[in-house]
Amino acid sequence: MLQFITKRTATLVAAVVVSSFAVFLIPYFTPGDPVRKIIRSRVAGDAVDESAVQGLSESLGLNDPLAVQYFRWLGDFFSGDMGLSFVSRTPVAEQVLPALSVTLSLVTMALVLAAAVSLPLGILAGLRPGSTADKAITAVTQALIAMPEYWVAPVLVLVFALKLSVLPTAGWNDLSSAVLPALTLALRPISFFTSAVRTGIIDAASADHVPAARARGLSQGQAILRHVVPNGLVPLSTLFAVWFAGLLGGSVIVEVIFAVPGMGRLLFDAVVNSDIPLAQGGVVVVVALAVGVTTLADFVHRFLSRTVGASLA
Amino acid sequence: MRSLLRPPALIAAALTLTLSGCGFSGTQTQASQPSAAADTSQRIVVDNFRAPVANWAVESDAAYILSLSGCLETLTTFNQAEGKVLPSLATEWKQTSPLDWDFSIRQGVKFQDGTDLTAESVVSALNHVLDAKVPARAFNRTMISSVTTVDAQTVRVSTPAENPLVPYRLASVNTGILSPAAYKAEGLDPFGHCTGPFTPVSEKAKQSLTLDRNENYWGGDVQLAGAEIRFITNGATRAAQVQTGEADISLSIPVASLAALKADDGVSVLGADSPRTATLYMNNGRAPLDDVDVRKAIRDALDLDALAASVYEGAALPATGPFAPSEPWAGEKQDKQQQNLEQARKRLAEAGYTADRPLEIIAIVERAEFADVAAVVQENLKNIGIPVTIQSKEYASAEPDVLAGNYDMLLSQRNRLIDIADPIGFLTADYTCKGTYNLSHFCDPEYDRIIAEAATTVDTTERYKLYAEAGQILQDKAVNAWLVNEQATDAIRKNVLSYEQDPLSRYVLTAKTGKAAS
Repeated sequence: MLQFITKRTATLVAAVVVSSFAVFLIPYFTPGDPVRKIIRSRVAGDAVDESAVQGLSESLGLNDPLAVQYFRWLGDFFSGDMGLSFVSRTPVAEQVLPALSVTLSLVTMALVLAAAVSLPLGILAGLRPGSTADKAITAVTQALIAMPEYWVAPVLVLVFALKLSVLPTAGWNDLSSAVLPALTLALRPISFFTSAVRTGIIDAASADHVPAARARGLSQGQAILRHVVPNGLVPLSTLFAVWFAGLLGGSVIVEVIFAVPGMGRLLFDAVVNSDIPLAQGGVVVVVALAVGVTTLADFVHRFLSRTVGASLA
Repeated sequence: MRSLLRPPALIAAALTLTLSGCGFSGTQTQASQPSAAADTSQRIVVDNFRAPVANWAVESDAAYILSLSGCLETLTTFNQAEGKVLPSLATEWKQTSPLDWDFSIRQGVKFQDGTDLTAESVVSALNHVLDAKVPARAFNRTMISSVTTVDAQTVRVSTPAENPLVPYRLASVNTGILSPAAYKAEGLDPFGHCTGPFTPVSEKAKQSLTLDRNENYWGGDVQLAGAEIRFITNGATRAAQVQTGEADISLSIPVASLAALKADDGVSVLGADSPRTATLYMNNGRAPLDDVDVRKAIRDALDLDALAASVYEGAALPATGPFAPSEPWAGEKQDKQQQNLEQARKRLAEAGYTADRPLEIIAIVERAEFADVAAVVQENLKNIGIPVTIQSKEYASAEPDVLAGNYDMLLSQRNRLIDIADPIGFLTADYTCKGTYNLSHFCDPEYDRIIAEAATTVDTTERYKLYAEAGQILQDKAVNAWLVNEQATDAIRKNVLSYEQDPLSRYVLTAKTGKAAS
């Protein structure tokens, strides 16, 4: 176990360092001058003053070699300083942490919603594969995969905000304002979770120990509850973690459409504006969290497998 | 509500405006009904299209948010309807020498923190802008040499060369005056430090700014109890919010949302000429577009009426040249560009153009409609035998090639009044031989001479005549193909009172803005 933890921790550090370096390089290898992008983000409009470009470049240390800039940032980071945003000149941590808390709340809500919907659907479909209910559930959940967020979001606004007037169109104020963005984010996970649960249930139900349990006198319902459902849910823990990690930085469209001040929007703006310290700080936090969550999911997966396995022995 | 689908009437009105010397888009700017009684306990919600990114730095675009929300005020203001600079925190001004302008500071004005507005506080505020690392376009060391106090009530603004536009520059929101306590080492703090009718009281980062009425406003009673400015960057969301009533005013409505808003009884859609013209930039420095006949042929091939009606759904007017017809410097010759395929083919043949040299259009992705505009232009040019390919790019990735002259055509647009309510900055940067933003790579000594003369011409009428002459050169030489004059479109709930639309969104909430009881 110790070896597993050490290995996982090393993976986490490596992932953070590699991804931060990749993000650091992006502004330099995409067309357009990073300093001009920074200026444009502060002062919209097209013509950028050349003396301002020179002055800003100098003051931000952007004339130094890339390696110097990167190791300077790395040194600051390991001493607990994520630096100042190039655009707002405020501490990166002051922007990242509030945005992170917003996205964490949104993603958690979306995944809890997805799990709440997909568990009964997946179990229902998995217990009666090939039935009308199974076919209907599979058809609907597969259709959800094909619905992109930029289409789903306006449709939900149209129905729930404009037609029914029961939910706000955008913002991040109270629980009601989180419903539509969380629902939009939940649709695809619902599809994947349902499919995973269905497959898990089918596999578990066809395992030898289920008839054995029935032979020991358990009713059909008891056998399902004790042996089929727990086994069928094991794959969900990993899937849950993967989606959690993916949505942390991948909720850009939803955050823009619903004006949610989260990490997706923050990272998107940071990259577009060449706000290197902000992008680096944001990515490091997201990557660390994502790797941490998937590592945790591995633990949970092992634990569940062992527990379930032990219960079957 | 005025229909946006009557271009001839609009153009006629605009021409009348121009001839009478009124200001840019004066009568096209619409106002909501002022007659109903305002309920002074009401608060208002405004959806703005940009969020502050620069920690409220006054030299950044954050100044627009502070100004539109009725917090930040400047020495002068530009009145869109009258087309002239009016007093604000300065009561009067005069040019005391070719290089000096003296501004008399309004007496009895207090900042929201209770301190007095003085000549010294104005000098301190303006010098803060001048010393900014990323300088404001309208007010920086290249055009302003110093700002000093003359006496307790007078501020002197000096320029390195004679400059008749100093009062215009001091109407720029970037020259907003805040109390000395606002300028802190860690950045600007506008909370409680403005002079305007509303004082900011709280902020939700990247979400909104909340303001309360300034009970001691120097400009009279404030009709609203307060306001919330929301930062909603998605246009469709802004449109939806004004429909649901979550917002009272939504700025900059996208074309795609207009039909739904116009059909809503609770909403008024206001349109005003914006100083933006969607333009097909042509690289005058590279063959075959270095030939004026090829450029004219391209212009002749374009069906601007169809373009305005289809892609812009009538929310933009076919362009008549580099300026909108309603601009006071547009000149009298305002012939609409008519499609003439035969003439276009003839010009191409005379220029010796063959289809062996296809052209490429870069359509910038920041403006979603340009993908469709590019397709229409492509079809138009195909009709005269010019094969065109389209590349969609982010502006930032296209810019290096465009500035270096490595492109054929670019679909983009520019704000002509980006610095001040006068096009001198735009005409200089974009079209003079040494222009710092000469995307067209156009160079004409006569044009440069006219612009140089205009830059030092104090008399407004004379200066505008020179701008018109310069514009005519751009038109005669077919430097670019100007496609449609864009409209600034705002939507307001019907119970909003005394709202005057500003196409540049500098002034939105004022002391007069009100709201009837719902």
